[in-house]
Amino acid sequence: MHLIVCVKQVPDTTDVRIDPETNTLVREGVPSILNPYDAHACEEAVSLKERYGGEVTAVSMGPLQAVEALRDCIAIGADRAVLVSDRAFAGSDTLATSYAVWSAIRAAEKAWGPAQVILCGKQAIDGDTAQVGPGVARRLDVPQITYALRVVELDADANTITVERRVEKGLEMVVSPLPCLLTCVEEMNEIRYASLPNLIRSLRYEAVIWGVKDLEADPTLCGLKGSPTAVARVFAPPEREPGEMIEGETAAAKVSGLIARLRERLGQSAPVN
Amino acid sequence: MASEQPFTAQADKLDRLEFDVVIVGGGCAGLAAATVCARAGLRPIVLERGRPGNKNVMGGVLYTRPTAEVFGEFWREAPVERSVIEQSLWVLTEDSALKIGYRSKAFAEGTPNAFTVLRARIDAWFAGQAAAAGALVVPNTKVEEVLRDGERVIGVRTSRPDGDVYAPVTIICEGVNPQLTQQLGMQGEIEPRDMSSVTKEVIALPPEVIQDRFHLAQDEGATIELFGDSSARLLGLAWIYTNRDTISIGVGVSLNDYVKTQVTPHDMLQRLKAHPMVEALVDGGEVREYSSHMIPEGGWNKLPQLYGDGVMVCGDAAMLVNAVHREGSNHAIWSGKLAAETAVLAHERGDFSRRTLANYWHRLYREVPTIRDLRKYRYAMTYPEKHRAVLGAYPDLASYAAREMLTVDGVTKREKEWRILRQALRARSVFGMAYDAIEALRLI
Amino acid sequence: MNEGLADKLYLLKYNIDDESHLVLKNPERCKKCESRECIYRCPAEVYSWEGDHLQIAFENCVECGVCKIVCPDCNIDWRYPRGGFGVFFKYG
Repeated sequence: MHLIVCVKQVPDTTDVRIDPETNTLVREGVPSILNPYDAHACEEAVSLKERYGGEVTAVSMGPLQAVEALRDCIAIGADRAVLVSDRAFAGSDTLATSYAVWSAIRAAEKAWGPAQVILCGKQAIDGDTAQVGPGVARRLDVPQITYALRVVELDADANTITVERRVEKGLEMVVSPLPCLLTCVEEMNEIRYASLPNLIRSLRYEAVIWGVKDLEADPTLCGLKGSPTAVARVFAPPEREPGEMIEGETAAAKVSGLIARLRERLGQSAPVN
Repeated sequence: MASEQPFTAQADKLDRLEFDVVIVGGGCAGLAAATVCARAGLRPIVLERGRPGNKNVMGGVLYTRPTAEVFGEFWREAPVERSVIEQSLWVLTEDSALKIGYRSKAFAEGTPNAFTVLRARIDAWFAGQAAAAGALVVPNTKVEEVLRDGERVIGVRTSRPDGDVYAPVTIICEGVNPQLTQQLGMQGEIEPRDMSSVTKEVIALPPEVIQDRFHLAQDEGATIELFGDSSARLLGLAWIYTNRDTISIGVGVSLNDYVKTQVTPHDMLQRLKAHPMVEALVDGGEVREYSSHMIPEGGWNKLPQLYGDGVMVCGDAAMLVNAVHREGSNHAIWSGKLAAETAVLAHERGDFSRRTLANYWHRLYREVPTIRDLRKYRYAMTYPEKHRAVLGAYPDLASYAAREMLTVDGVTKREKEWRILRQALRARSVFGMAYDAIEALRLI
Repeated sequence: MNEGLADKLYLLKYNIDDESHLVLKNPERCKKCESRECIYRCPAEVYSWEGDHLQIAFENCVECGVCKIVCPDCNIDWRYPRGGFGVFFKYG
């Protein structure tokens, strides 16, 4: 079985400050990390490999330093990693990104066999769009199971996968034919503490690097050219006004205080008792 | 050489992670050791519990010469902050400072004397150098214990699954909390008198403001060490160092003195920052980071056994710090380098016993003059303990004397001298002062 | 400039492990302790006395090692957090 996991390197948003003067994100000196949801997707791929056998290929698109995120995948237990990196991909929106990732998956299947399960994080913590996974599924023309919480069973003979997914009001059990794409939530699993041999392997690992030509991709669908959307502006929303605490000796006093405040807001005068 | 002669203490090597040298800790000592080993053709592995630099804290002055012996003209590309051209000592009372300083642009010319640095940045660069030389630097991996075969150290056990690593020689650069060194019985119990507790802040200010306040040009830096009221008259030293766009301010106090008070280390730092002379330097800055660390101040009398069969100890773990002269990272780098060269020698001889590894300590003592200083200063830390006036009365006296002599008020200089003497005798007897002075001379 | 300690600890980046790396060898012994050095000497307010016991907020720990040394009873089983966990300084 071939499992492909799609990952992204993102700035550690817990480390991002907002410049109070310009209201923009200060990214200088902010370390890059493997998108946390993607780490869970990778963990799931590796545990599926351990349950059902097979190989895990991690795929990412980004600048050359994104190999660090792929090294994290190797530490978790991925067998190999591919970085799609080319100037032609610069400035990609989610549409162009899903095209590049799809091209990479196609090339990875050509090299290492057709994939049964493709796993993505539910979204990246920098863009928060949650569009690339579904976009890739659409291009692959395979079913997608978003917000996957648990792989109940993968039946190779029946060629199906049974997955529990999180929906607004509970859980949903979905049976899908293979191949299939999952987008994973963080409750899906706990990322393992890598063994020392795997960690060492990851430090020495040199990812396969593919450009537009290796993927036989259509340059007009890549990067800025293939991106119909653009980010107009990045800004921090205005700070919300702090809430007001209504004090009072008793509950009744607090309630009358609240009513008085509400009337004030509505421009009504207090009732005559 | 050694790479072709694999270590053969035990069978079944295929399942074992084997290296020529295991280095515990990726700080100044460990990364210097790794770089030297790798350049000599050995295969070292460095096990670091964080990412290189992220667990390390120091005041912030890195001396060029020892660093350059391992990392060449590092300042041309490494993330150093400023080249130190002015060093001052301030003796503080509650509202005054007696300042002694030396400034010379010559410090920055040719091979600069010292740089201010931030460890998270510079250590990451050292780690890059070690890796480029061929060392394997493993992050996020903590060593739990040392593995032994009888008396001989044969490797270490990390907290990761399948985490045992073997090598014929292990260099312990574990830092100020010497747990492995103690585990091996090479260091005894650490007591409050052996350590000082440091709290530090990195405060952001625009480079122009820093340059203006400290009278510096663009890449120039200044250091100030503070004594007296800066540590609430407890045995300690405070400092203010200029970085590129931040100021490092910290205060270290002997744990032995701290335990007599209810002042917390954070309060001590807040107190320092509120001193009028200090406040003027950090005013308007934004605190970027608060940190704490210990400085090993046990000195010569508390040096551990630095070598054993298959093992050497370097840097803070070996207490190689001169607390009086704020020297620690230089000793760390020097000891790491000499331990590495000794490991190379051991591989050449094929002998990893203490007989060969003793070369490490012999060379350290012979070749590094500031290590010999440790012996000379072995009573330095007990001096202020016996002579409390140094921290208590003398800063006040010095301040009084300076103010008296500098005030023009119609009193003759001779009368002023008498006043100062009377003031001094009120604070301390003639015999007391003589005793303080004689003992002080013995230190120097 | 006179920010509180809590604000400063908030600036630090931590990767917090599930389990505490600071463990009391025998919590009962702390009840008899008069000096409570750990509370005063910790630079990160990890230790506090809560009613009848010593509370350890290990997630605040900046890994200096002072508590181990000042404990008059040597009652703290002190160790660093597991590799990859604990505090990560950005300046150092």
